[in-house]
Amino acid sequence: MTLYEIRNMAATIAGNRLVEDVSLIVEAGHCTAIIGASGSGKSLTCLSPFGLTPGAASGTMILDGIDLGGADSAQIRDVRRRLAGFIFQQPLTALTPHLAVGTQLQEATMQAGAARPSRRELVRKLERVGLSRADERLDQFPHRLSGGERQRVMIAAAIAHDPKLLIADEPTSALDASLRGEIMTLLDELRAETGLGLLLVSHDLASVEGHADQLVVMDKGRVVERGLASQVLASAVEDYTRRLVAATPRLQEPAPALSRPGKILLETRGLGVAFDRPGWRRGKTRALADAGIVLRQGESLAIVGGSGSGKSTLGRAIAGIGPVTEGEIFWETMLLPERRKRSLDMRRLIQPVFQDPVASLDPHWQVVDIVTEPLRNLRADLTQVERNEMARRALVDVDLAEDLLTRLPASLSGGQAQRVAIARAIVASPQLLVLDEATSALDPLVGAGILKLLARLQNENGLSLLFITHDIAAARRLCHRVAVMEGGLIVETGQMQDVIDFPRHPATQKLIAAS
Amino acid sequence: MLKRHFPLVLVVVLVVLALLLPLLLPWSYHEIDWDAVRAPAFSGSHIFGTDEIGRDRLARLAAGTRVTLMVAIAAALVSLIVGIAWGATAGWIGGRVDEAMMRIVDGLYALPFMFIVILLMVVFGRSILLVFVGIGLVEWLTMARVVRGQVIALKQRPFVLAAEAAGTSSTAILLRHIMPNIAGVALAYLMLTVPQVVMVESFLSFLGLGVQEPLTSLGILVKEGADDMDMTPMGLALPGGLLVLILVCLTIEGERLRDRFS
Repeated sequence: MTLYEIRNMAATIAGNRLVEDVSLIVEAGHCTAIIGASGSGKSLTCLSPFGLTPGAASGTMILDGIDLGGADSAQIRDVRRRLAGFIFQQPLTALTPHLAVGTQLQEATMQAGAARPSRRELVRKLERVGLSRADERLDQFPHRLSGGERQRVMIAAAIAHDPKLLIADEPTSALDASLRGEIMTLLDELRAETGLGLLLVSHDLASVEGHADQLVVMDKGRVVERGLASQVLASAVEDYTRRLVAATPRLQEPAPALSRPGKILLETRGLGVAFDRPGWRRGKTRALADAGIVLRQGESLAIVGGSGSGKSTLGRAIAGIGPVTEGEIFWETMLLPERRKRSLDMRRLIQPVFQDPVASLDPHWQVVDIVTEPLRNLRADLTQVERNEMARRALVDVDLAEDLLTRLPASLSGGQAQRVAIARAIVASPQLLVLDEATSALDPLVGAGILKLLARLQNENGLSLLFITHDIAAARRLCHRVAVMEGGLIVETGQMQDVIDFPRHPATQKLIAAS
Repeated sequence: MLKRHFPLVLVVVLVVLALLLPLLLPWSYHEIDWDAVRAPAFSGSHIFGTDEIGRDRLARLAAGTRVTLMVAIAAALVSLIVGIAWGATAGWIGGRVDEAMMRIVDGLYALPFMFIVILLMVVFGRSILLVFVGIGLVEWLTMARVVRGQVIALKQRPFVLAAEAAGTSSTAILLRHIMPNIAGVALAYLMLTVPQVVMVESFLSFLGLGVQEPLTSLGILVKEGADDMDMTPMGLALPGGLLVLILVCLTIEGERLRDRFS
């Protein structure tokens, strides 16, 4: 049964047509997913008909027999109140901070005119979304809950008034990798239970695979392709969709051919990091304990874990840009000292690349100055002309045009900025790159390009890579071995394929289930 | 641009006038015209008339604006330099040094500022230099706090970490990466400090603790005007209005800058 249908919808903001000619159908009890890169108009498409964006939607949008296209704002409000529920990306900002969970849930329940729910009913609503100790939670404020718990509360509130359509705008993007699978499964269960129709928005094809019945692929404000999810994934017609499917890392895809590692390059023994607690409280928080890893020449090691698992702390300690409280880091036979004590020769060996490509580049510097920065310190023997020539070659190496040299970071796209950051990292010929979520903030197509680039650099230059990520499927495209982290500890290590096929630790199993 | 930044343009025009008028007017700010005591506006060569001992009001207004703005800009610059140096050092080094340096700032904040300035004046006598010292003592504190916060936020940014990994020394990171990135915020607070100092200076002068006669400032002019306002209201209205105008314009521009950079 068709619950919600959009035909030839367009959305405009301040006179600009940002979305055009969109048609899609959501069936009761089924899930339709809109997939697209950032700026493709997917959020506008699903929120504009309900008056939740600054834009205006025009066209035919029929929800449960009511045409939203011709409705005035009061009618649309009424539809929002009774028929639709919404889940947003940021669970913290989507809950009102000064209201207890129970109060918010009560408000959500009563929004469609229902009677004041009893405490028992509220508890039941929270239990239905899989929250433990539900009675206690009712009196807690949002900041006491973790990200995953908040998102469950958000879902409970979104369905509290028994809507017919649930609109979820990137419901799992802000969550820890291991929680994503759980939230998607919960949404599946709710659909099956109540006949709820789900309109899901995501930039990540992998996260909707196996959950969505229908797929709508959007690019630049238009629908590129739509159809049954299984069909679109198996045999996409459009080139864009095919590239998107190919770019999305999957655990099922054939294992990549990787180079053979050489001698041991880096080894850590009993590495630990503790931070002072903020404020006046005494004591320390352990971010990392007893970490031992081994990395060979030309090898890539994936450090995989959820947020707060200590994986970035480990990477920064190794790269010499974070504190070390205990333990030792060896480079071949040389002991690498802590942070400020590293000599320039040691610095040259290891270079980092970060998650946020724009924040990695000084906004006031031209690309040429950014890329030559390591050379100015580490290769003082070179002349200015030689350095600029090396910067130019590094840009070519990362597939960027030379004319970017004089640009400022603000004028670069995310993918370009990340390539500049990689160029800066490789310009002084290091032997190890520490990549801290280097592809996570990028759109799938761009991220896949960066993964390819890294694989090429590794093959050509014999680089070793430490690939820190929450996405084990992405890591599999690049890495020989994997170390899984949880709560500051390395809980499992092994060859990539072995760990994926036979995960032993629960944390590993969760991460694999989420991919 | 001209229309959007009307307040700034107005202040610039006023400053230019204050600088040029002494060259154009037949009277200097301390000359007494014995033939025209308390002359009304537009009498002879006195456009705004004269005060109760026969000095040209327009010349005195120009001189007062010059002194007030000079004190304000100098004190604001001093606060900028001291504040940035102190705040950047505390924020960059962090830890115990940061704690200690910021507690000193807190301590200075807690001192009764007026009381100290009055004490200084009593001990060392009135002078422009002391007005500088007194104002500068207080105004750098806010700047230090703002700069420290910015430095701590920037310290964690990936591009600073990347610079460290690239072997750039701490001093170079501070000078080449951190400083340019706090320049905008610092400039905004500089713009906001100037009107604050104008206010403090006028207040001190009004109390008779500012610059020495016959040198004058807007605060002194307001005080003189207030003493004589039942006879000639214009004597209060002119410097008072000018003071308000400058304060409002500078504050508007300063807040605009602050909104842009933070």
